[in-house]
This record gives sequence, C-alpha cells and structure tokens, in this order.
Amino acid sequence: MRVFLQTTLAAFASISVAAQAPTPPAQPANTGPLGLPIPPAGTLVAITNATILTASHGTIERGTILIRDGKIAAVGADVQIPPGAKIIDGNGKYVTPGIIDAHSHSAAEAINEGTESITAQVRIEDVLRQDGTSLYRQLAGGTTTLNILHGSANTIGGQNAVVKLRYGLPVDSMLFAGAPPGIKFALGENVRQTTRPSPTRYPRTRMGVEDVLRDAFTRAREYQAEWKKYDVAKAAFDKAKQRGAVAPIPPNRDLQLDALVEVLEGKRLVHCHSYRADEILMMLRVAKDFGFRVATFQHVLEGYKVADELAAAGSGGSTFADNWAYKLEAWDAIPHNAALMAERGVVVSINSDSDERARRLYQEAAKAMKYGGASEETALRMITLNAAMQLGIDKRVGSIDVGKDADLAIFNGHPFAPASRVEMTLIDGRVFFDRATAPTLEWLIQRMKGRPRVTSEDAQ
Amino acid sequence: MIQRMWQAPVIAALAILAGGSEADGQARAVVIRNATLVPVTAPRIERGTIILRNGRIEALGMNVAVPSDATIVDGTGLFVYPGLIDAGTNLGLTEIGSVPGGEDTREIGDFNPQNVVLTAVNPHSELIPVTRVDGVTTAITSAEGGLVSGAAALIDLVGWTPAEMAVVPRAAMVVNFPSAGPQGFGGFGGGGQQRSAADRREAMNRQVRQLYQFFEDARAYADVHARTTGLKADHKFEALIPFVRGELPVIVDAASADQIRGAIAFADSLKLKIIIRGARDGWQVADTLAARKIPVIVGPLTQAPGNDEPYDLVYANPGVLAGAGVQLAFQSSDASNSRTLPYHAALATAYGLNPDEALRAVTINPARMFGVADKYGSLEVGKVANVFVATGDPLDVRTHVRHVYIRGESIPFTDRHTMLYEKFRARPKKP
Repeated sequence: MRVFLQTTLAAFASISVAAQAPTPPAQPANTGPLGLPIPPAGTLVAITNATILTASHGTIERGTILIRDGKIAAVGADVQIPPGAKIIDGNGKYVTPGIIDAHSHSAAEAINEGTESITAQVRIEDVLRQDGTSLYRQLAGGTTTLNILHGSANTIGGQNAVVKLRYGLPVDSMLFAGAPPGIKFALGENVRQTTRPSPTRYPRTRMGVEDVLRDAFTRAREYQAEWKKYDVAKAAFDKAKQRGAVAPIPPNRDLQLDALVEVLEGKRLVHCHSYRADEILMMLRVAKDFGFRVATFQHVLEGYKVADELAAAGSGGSTFADNWAYKLEAWDAIPHNAALMAERGVVVSINSDSDERARRLYQEAAKAMKYGGASEETALRMITLNAAMQLGIDKRVGSIDVGKDADLAIFNGHPFAPASRVEMTLIDGRVFFDRATAPTLEWLIQRMKGRPRVTSEDAQ
Repeated sequence: MIQRMWQAPVIAALAILAGGSEADGQARAVVIRNATLVPVTAPRIERGTIILRNGRIEALGMNVAVPSDATIVDGTGLFVYPGLIDAGTNLGLTEIGSVPGGEDTREIGDFNPQNVVLTAVNPHSELIPVTRVDGVTTAITSAEGGLVSGAAALIDLVGWTPAEMAVVPRAAMVVNFPSAGPQGFGGFGGGGQQRSAADRREAMNRQVRQLYQFFEDARAYADVHARTTGLKADHKFEALIPFVRGELPVIVDAASADQIRGAIAFADSLKLKIIIRGARDGWQVADTLAARKIPVIVGPLTQAPGNDEPYDLVYANPGVLAGAGVQLAFQSSDASNSRTLPYHAALATAYGLNPDEALRAVTINPARMFGVADKYGSLEVGKVANVFVATGDPLDVRTHVRHVYIRGESIPFTDRHTMLYEKFRARPKKP
C-alpha cells in the first residue's frame, strides 16, 4: 500500500525535482511542471453567460467576456461572439478580475539579506524561481499577480518584483512588464530584532529606525547631487568639445543609493512594512521631508488610527483580514482595519504575506464586509483594483474592463460564499488553471483505485 | 484530593446555570421570536420561537406560548443556531503570542498527564470576548508539547473563574503521537539542526516505545490501585486512570497516515477511547477510521499541502473522511483566531463536504465526542442555552452575528476590537 501510494504521489513530484536539476528533465514539448499543458497564447476566447463582478462598474448578470490577443475585447450582456472563438461556458459561474496579492514572498530563493539594516541594492528579480507547486496552488485560488517583496529583517530590505503567475513558462517571463519598480521598507519589531536573544545590530529602537532612514536618504541626496553636478559638467564638456579639455570624472556608482535616488525621484514605489501608528507617522514625516510618497504601508495594523494621515499623504494600506495578537505590535490590530481605513479615504488592499493564504484571498476580502461593513464591491476591490492601484498597474489589470489584460478567475459560486471555489484561472486570456484537468485529491483517489479520469469535457 | 478529581467530570457549569437569575430565584426568560431555528439535529423551523430560561432551552417550535415576563428579541429575518464548539484551541492559555510571560501552552518534559489545563485558563483573556461574538461559545482548550501534554478542558466562553467556565474540567487527555517528520526549524533567525531520516525514525521509535511503556505502567497502576489500599500515590499515573480505563477520551494529535495508523495500534493495544486530531492525511485512512468508529477532529484547514500533493488536499480531506462515515469535528488550532472556526468548515464545503455535515461538525459532533451531547451541540428542549442569532449561514463570512447567549446569559458585543473600532471611528477629522 505504501509503495503504491508513493509511486502514485511521485506523479506530482516532478516540479520539485525539475527546479533543482541542472538540465530540464525530458518532457513532452508542450507541458510544464505537473505535466500540465502550457496554454497557447493569442487565442480568441469567449466566457459566456456568467455573472461578471467587474470590480470597476458593478455586476453584469448573464454577461459575456470576449478575449482577443490576451486582452479583454468586450464585456457586457450583449456581446457578439465572433466565429472561431473558444467558448468557456460560464453558466452558473462567477467571474472576477484575477486576484492581485500586494504582499507575497513566493517564488523567491531568499528574501532577507539580514546583515545590514539598509540593503536597497539587493533584488528579488535576481533570485526569482518557479518554486515547486506553491505558485500553482495560488493560481488555483484565483490569484494571478504577486508583489514579491523582501522580508522585514531590514529597514530597507531590497527591490521587489511584480510577477504574473504564468506557471510553467520560464521564470523571466513571469515578470510583469511595465510594472513600476518598488522597494521594501520595514519598521518595528522585526527590524529592531526584538525576538533575538542578544541583538547586536543598530537600530535597536524605533528612534534608531528613523535615524537609519534619514541617514540613508541624506546620503542618497548627496549622491544624487554629485551625479547632477557631474551631469551638468559632462553636458557642458560635450557641448564645448574643446581640444585639450579634461572630461569630468563620474562619481562612483553606488547600487544601494541608486535605488534610493529612484525613490527620491518618484520612480520607485515604497512598500513599507509597519504595525504601529507612531511608526507609520514617523515614516510619513521622513517621506515628506525627503519629498517622496510611500506607495503602500504593508500590514499597517494600526492604520485605522491614522487613516486620515494616510489618506492625506496618498499612501495606500495593504493589510491582513484578521490576524492579531501574535506579537505585541499586533495587539491593537482589529479586523475592522480594512473597512475603517477605506471609509476614511485610504486605498486599501488585503494581502496574503503567505503562500497558503494567497490561495483563499477571496474569503479574506469578505471579512471587510463582516467587520466594518464594507460593501461587496469595496471588498472585491481590496484584492483586485485597489491592489493594482497600489502597485501602479491598474491601467493593465485589476478590473474587468475593455483593453485590460484578460486576467480572470472563474468561480463555481459567488467568491464570498462559503462553498465557492475557483474553477478556472486565466492570465492574458490563457487558462493556467483548470480544475477539470487539475491533479485533485479526488483524481488521486480514483487513480489509486485504478479508475480513469472523467473530465467535464469527456462528459460533453 | 488529586486522586478523585477525575471522578467528578460532571458538568461544573451546572453550578452557575442560574446565571442571570433574579432575586426571586425565577430567571427572566429570553424569547427569540419569528426566526428561522436551525436545531442541527432536527429539520429547521421557519418562523419559530425559542425560549431560554435558567440557562436552558425551555421551549422551541412554531407554536410556543410566550411567557409574560420575557425579554423579547425580534428574530425576523434572522437565524438561530446552537453555539459553535471549537474542538481544538489554546484559548485562555495565551495572550500575545510573542510575549513569553503570557504563555501557558507548553510545559517542560515529555509526560505531563497530571497537568490540568483548566488551572491556567485565564477567564479574563481579551481573546475570549472577541471569539464568542462570532458564535463560538464552547471550546476544547488544550496544552501542547511533549508526548502527553495534559488534560484538556471543555469550557464555555463565559464565567468569572476557570471553574465556572468548565463544562468538563478534564475532558480529554492530549497525546502527541511521535512523528518521523523533519525536526528543527531553520527559518529566519532560526538555525535549528536538521537530522537524518534514520536518526529521526530511531527517535520516533524510541518515543513510541516510551509512550506505550508509560500507558502500560499507568494501566498496571490503575489495576493495582483498584485492588489495594495504601498504595503510594503517583500523581502522573493517577491522572491517567480514567483514560487507561477507556472512560474518558484521549485526543491523539496525528497528522500523517503513519501517525494515524500508529495511534490506532496504540489505542488497540491499550484499549483506549481515542479521538484523532489534525488528521491531515486522514483521507488515506478514512475507511479504517470509519469502520473503527474513531472520531476525527480536522483542522486547521489553513495549511498548505506538501509539494508533491494535490493542491486541494487539505480542503478536500474532511469531505473524504465524512463521506466514508467518519464522525467529524473541526478545530481552529489557534487562540486569537478561534473565531474563524466556521471558515475552516466552509473551506471544506467548497471541496466536497456536505454543508449540513459541516454544521454538525462544529456543533453536535464535538459535543458527542466529549460526552456532552445530552446538553450541548443542538437546539433541543432542556439543553444548555448556548445559542446565537445571525443574519445567515455561520459558515458564510458575510454573515453577521447579532446576539449570543451562553448558558442563557446575553453576551455583550463589546470587546477589544469593537472598543478600538468605535474609539477611532469617532476620531475627529482634521479641518
């Protein structure tokens, strides 16, 4: 029995092996990890007769979404379906925008360069990988885009990567082309290393955290000024083209300060891990003094206490639905945080910070309705459009609108209803998850009993 | 004193069941009218009335005479359910996870059957009011760690003292079945050592032998004790007497199929009445568990499956177990988020568990497992008035709980969260 089971389970194990192997294992040309087919690009697809939760302009009953070349070409109740379109029958189904997780640590080989408090130079992009089946499981929860951040060991942890879960394609093709670059900041207990028996690294206090930030941005400003001075001198030199003149010498390139200069210039979005209201206010002051905006406060468990300040600064809040009491700085966390911040004008998203939670963000979003009375569309936006706005990718994803990428999740019921699950997940119009062909527990049990799989397509 | 404590697993709650009573001794009744009653053990009653008095359900049905002295609650458009029972939490033993001073979840040593969890339950934990306003009224709260962690308590989430909270002071003994799984944790700031598979297996076998030996010794102690007087007391073995005699259940925490099979063999050998808890791989052993009538507490469902396992394995597992006929309950396995108990059950319904069975698994089934089904787990006349009134299905996250009664006592909807919410919602906007 055991041997049989292990043999059967081995069918699922190909990916973890594949991720380690120096050369890819022999596989049929068109299959990815798990032996699943890689969906073709550019197909004309129509999802018909579905309840469409657009996240931008309400709900469309018995509607159709037409997808052409990976983009949403039409959406509505009266959409003409061109001949040749692949039909996905949405009867009885609910379609939402693909879920966007504004705080993930998936697909990264390592997330904490925990040696110094400022490590702005390290990049998630350099350690990106297809990490086993975790990405697939998140797809199976309707999640299509991740903001992969560094951990919270450092005050400035490093540069993020925004990816789409194009599972099975080469790692580089997961990167979300055109997404603004970002950087992870962190405040509070993790940075202060309070859980370590004998912390030795500065900063040890929230005062020190502020100092480290001001010091870093002061250096960045000086570095920026040096380069500006050089650019002026270089331009003058190039223009004059005087015989015998000595070309100005460029300042030393500093990869850490390069990233911080991008922050100063508004070209790199700051995503700041934070818990307590006081440290949030500190970060807002530092950002104001140095002339940049904090794009999102992550976790932001006491964001509800300073919602007006967050809203005034144009900073988003990306929080958990209901985690609290796991440490002292989470003692004042309340499940009403998301709804209350939203009520006071903050753009709010619900994130996972966990490969596991990223599989059920649709249930987490519903908690904003339960605690604090957010409307259904507000709650849905917290895992779609709002997250897209926070990441600066809302022109591309986050709602079901013509011209946007066809990143969609198809549920068997309302995404907030208890017995609902994801049936299909599309990215760029390509079906990257389909429960009908997915390796499910039921399928495994049937295989163990020696029964062939009957899919819904066979039944038709 | 110790030696006879187990003989009184009587409902301690009875002592304060008259909670809310008035000076004349006759408590004022609470009447919830015109609501949909969901008794769980009987078909639902539309436009029904339920009467709570003296901590008990006095009457329920479509045509129930409303007493003149009653407090009336209009249940129009609302649903009445029996209080939810979390079959695994450490509520009361922990406050803020990272603050060691507030942690009573884990004792030193491998064998601690003499430890009585109820002793350390803090009735005034801030976590309790937050939990019960979402409909969780009753819980098995247990310690963890070692091989035998101590006696778990079945408590109602109300009471001024631990004794007042207790439904069954020592409801079950908790055993962690040894595992050959990876030991040590090498996460951020960690650096725990990794051991070879052979070392782990050897350590597991040694622990299994120790566990058998300990229970065999306890059984021998119990046998001798029954025949002799003047025996020198061993408080560890003393504490195990009702469990080795099969009078009270032993919760065996077991996740893998190997652990579950090991636990069943252990129970067979020592003739224990066991409940398997965790049971992540329960689906592999479902038929055996059903045939042997071994109840299973599943959860938390908020776990990822292993890399080489089906993506829906954790969610689908409860449905497979119930489908095989296993008596099922759920645990949150959490204190601060014990309130999310129904959402573990909800995840299971999305992947094959019948919704009615899911509701039983958070109400009557755990009551049966812990021997209190005559007083808990459903809306029936004479049962303890643990009842909540909600806008819909408690498994639906969108549902709001409007009223909670524990032992007939109306539970205030003020807790740490609502107080902070109200306080900061009222923060004046800057001009």
